[in-house]
Amino acid sequence: MAATPLQEDVTLLPETIARTLGLDAYGFAGQILAALIGAFIVGNVMLAMTGVAGPWAKRKITAAFTDRIAVNRVGPFGLLIIVADAVRLLSKELIVPENVDRPAWDLAPLVVAGSALLGFAVIPMGNGIHLADPEVGLAYVFATASLASVGLVMAGYASNNKYSLLGGLRAVAQNVAYEIPLVVTGVSVVIFAGSLRMGEIVAVQRETLVVLAGVPIPSWFAIVNPFAFVLFVVANLAEVGRNPFDTPEAPTEIVAGYQTEYSSVYFVLFYLGEFVHIFLGGAIIATLFLGGPAGPVLPGFVWFVIKIWAVFLFTQWARSAMPRVRIDQLMEIGWKGLLVLSFANLVLTAIIVGVIA
Amino acid sequence: MSADPDRTAGADAGATETLPVTEGVEADRLAELLGDLVRRRDEHLNADAAFEVHPDDVQETLFTLRDEAGFDHCSCVTAQEYDDRFESIYHLKKYDDPTQEVSVVVPTDKADPRSESAEPVYRTADWHEREAYDLVGIEYDDHPDLRRILLPETWQGHPLSKDYDQDRPQVVTLQEHANPLEEDHKDSESDTMFLNIGPHHPATHGVLHLKTTLDGEQVADVDPDIGYLHRCEEQMCQQGTYRHQIMPYPDRWDYISAGLLNEWAYARAAEDLADIEVPDYAQVIRTMSAELCRIASHMLAVGTFALDVYGDFTAIFMYAIREREKAQKVLEDLTGQRMMFNYFRLGGVVWDIPEPRDEFFERARDFLDGLPQATQEFHDLLTTNEIFQLRCVDTGILPPETAKSYGATGPVARGSGIDVDLRRDDPYGYYDELDWDVITQDGCDNYARVLVRLREVEESAKIIEQCLDLLEDWPEDDREIQANVPRTLKPDPDTETYRAVEAAKGELGIYIRSDGTDTPARFKIRSPCFSNLQTLSEMAEGEYIADLVAALGSLDIVLGEVDR
Repeated sequence: MAATPLQEDVTLLPETIARTLGLDAYGFAGQILAALIGAFIVGNVMLAMTGVAGPWAKRKITAAFTDRIAVNRVGPFGLLIIVADAVRLLSKELIVPENVDRPAWDLAPLVVAGSALLGFAVIPMGNGIHLADPEVGLAYVFATASLASVGLVMAGYASNNKYSLLGGLRAVAQNVAYEIPLVVTGVSVVIFAGSLRMGEIVAVQRETLVVLAGVPIPSWFAIVNPFAFVLFVVANLAEVGRNPFDTPEAPTEIVAGYQTEYSSVYFVLFYLGEFVHIFLGGAIIATLFLGGPAGPVLPGFVWFVIKIWAVFLFTQWARSAMPRVRIDQLMEIGWKGLLVLSFANLVLTAIIVGVIA
Repeated sequence: MSADPDRTAGADAGATETLPVTEGVEADRLAELLGDLVRRRDEHLNADAAFEVHPDDVQETLFTLRDEAGFDHCSCVTAQEYDDRFESIYHLKKYDDPTQEVSVVVPTDKADPRSESAEPVYRTADWHEREAYDLVGIEYDDHPDLRRILLPETWQGHPLSKDYDQDRPQVVTLQEHANPLEEDHKDSESDTMFLNIGPHHPATHGVLHLKTTLDGEQVADVDPDIGYLHRCEEQMCQQGTYRHQIMPYPDRWDYISAGLLNEWAYARAAEDLADIEVPDYAQVIRTMSAELCRIASHMLAVGTFALDVYGDFTAIFMYAIREREKAQKVLEDLTGQRMMFNYFRLGGVVWDIPEPRDEFFERARDFLDGLPQATQEFHDLLTTNEIFQLRCVDTGILPPETAKSYGATGPVARGSGIDVDLRRDDPYGYYDELDWDVITQDGCDNYARVLVRLREVEESAKIIEQCLDLLEDWPEDDREIQANVPRTLKPDPDTETYRAVEAAKGELGIYIRSDGTDTPARFKIRSPCFSNLQTLSEMAEGEYIADLVAALGSLDIVLGEVDR
């Protein structure tokens, strides 16, 4: 059914930029420049969202869940706390503990923050904001997202701190355990969509599934296959390390896990990286299951942002209300529960799609 | 044996021989049971009997008392120095009936204070004897690990002994100090990893240092290192006068808003010592305010436990703090303070319920009315949560026999199915006139201990409700808040008593010996957290590090009380 590409007018962001700025004339160099400008824009939008989320929105959301008020002194709704916090965090002394494994220790925060940003390259954000749409889009997203585990292990090992080491080990064990169900569940969507191309996956979901009382219900995969959606959301919680799966950081057990020894800018990078990861998780969920930028009335990009913030809100909700599972229980849930369920989902999807098609 | 040459109390033996023997069949029966082990009968106000035994007969005596007379609770070990001897007192009780008390007094030689350790009999004696060695300087033979517990290893002298030189500088070079980082390296031979948890760590609830050996993520061995918050509370109380100067200190032991419960421990001991009768009206106020403290304290315990299991600041923690805050508001109205109340006085309380009384009652009732909904919220959000149960059921197991051997009391003991509560078993205040229940859970795990606390909050609310009714209807001309107590209290010399109350964490006992002056000659605090914390290694060894943290949280220790 998805044999013919449903995507029309696929103009990617770099192409638009190149055309607008007249960079077409410079050939390959112009293309690269346009791509860089596009990446710069997307990266900064994402970082700006993280900037809002980290120092401000997270506090406000958690406060709402826990009966508090949170920041309200600096600026309207305490919004200027973002500026104040940025200054505060960046002006802190960067403490480098003795005997840290230097290149690895310095690179880890960059890997964590960078890997998450890379993923956004293939995410269609609506209104033509889409950097690239390769054939292997979905595989690329999963690959870049899991690069973060390398960063976490580097941080954990290079810090020369036992809490960091425990955190790093937990992080890698957890990411391996939960990436498989995540990818396998993603594959079940691919079976429906018939393509790994992100633009294609979004386009497929634009079709109308049923019309209920005059309202057309789109065939978002969250509606078509809610089971896969739930599996994916749960695995994603583990992937971004939020309750009930925040064992790699587990503040009351292993202090702060892999980031125990990091301060100042390095800490900011970790902190940002985590939020970018949550947003990337949200973007993947939005693209795979929630129709990407699709939505009525509002422009596509706004819908896209709303969707990833909804996922962010969900992670914060889980964080405020759910206890943390123990590391062995986490492994058990991952390997014995989610993995089995995700394969069951894959096989079922394959059969259903095979029978229908 | 009575003609033993190294009898240390020889000097005043003639005088003390004539001391009146504590009456009661039970005491005589015990004396008969112990036979020749008893060298002398002493008198302690609290105990049915006080037997003096030879330093080499400690274990035999205690084994006999434990196995044949049923004294299964070694509640405290008090050590002190007289002019002519050292003395260790083992305060024994029964879990079934804490009013049956026996003191085993072990005098030791001044020059070489050595006596047999009670550790093989009661495992709780381990820490108690270490403390006695640390502060007073008595050495215990056969003790598995006799080293300092509250003071640094390098401390010079024993601060509560008579020849302690306060002016001696305690400067110790870095080399002499045991370096905690030294052990910080992995042994090339073994596959375990040594990990310092604390003294600064998010889950230690204060400055506690757990020397942990990890085998992977599992705890192979854990050794709590305490004393970081030692503030010489016993010493300070020994320098204060009975009437006024001691009462502010108890607030600072268990400082988590359980102040009034602590004050009551001192009040009870001192009133017993000086034979003060507390008017009923004051007893009702005491009972009500103490239970408010218990609610505040349990709320914090549940909240911080949730913090340990949930991580970060979660809804449950803030909800718990909110309820605690309400209890504290009522306490503030009553005492004028939020934490350091200093509200009890010997013979009563410092002032009556604030005027207008109706307003106070209304506010207190408002708090109680909201409480069932709040506890229901806890059950919805916490105890019925499947992940919470996954984490807490069957983790941190403390079997009842182990709990008893370690002298665990309070919610920790009741969570292990031990039906013990001094409010009921050894009634004081107004408790025996009121209608309430002792909560026990048979789970012996982290979950059971949390449930006990939550349900105890409901029982406390019942008690407060009844007290409020009583106070409202109390005839106006009969509101006596304090008994007539002399300005300077000088209890008779050589009177000794050990009295305990049910504090938020368990049996909080005070041993006082008077010497005829207006300050105690020995003031010993039996802290429930001190004994409860000892059970941690039993609960945590072999479990995951996350369970170690949960078990520690479920013990609900306050380092201010552990270290005193």
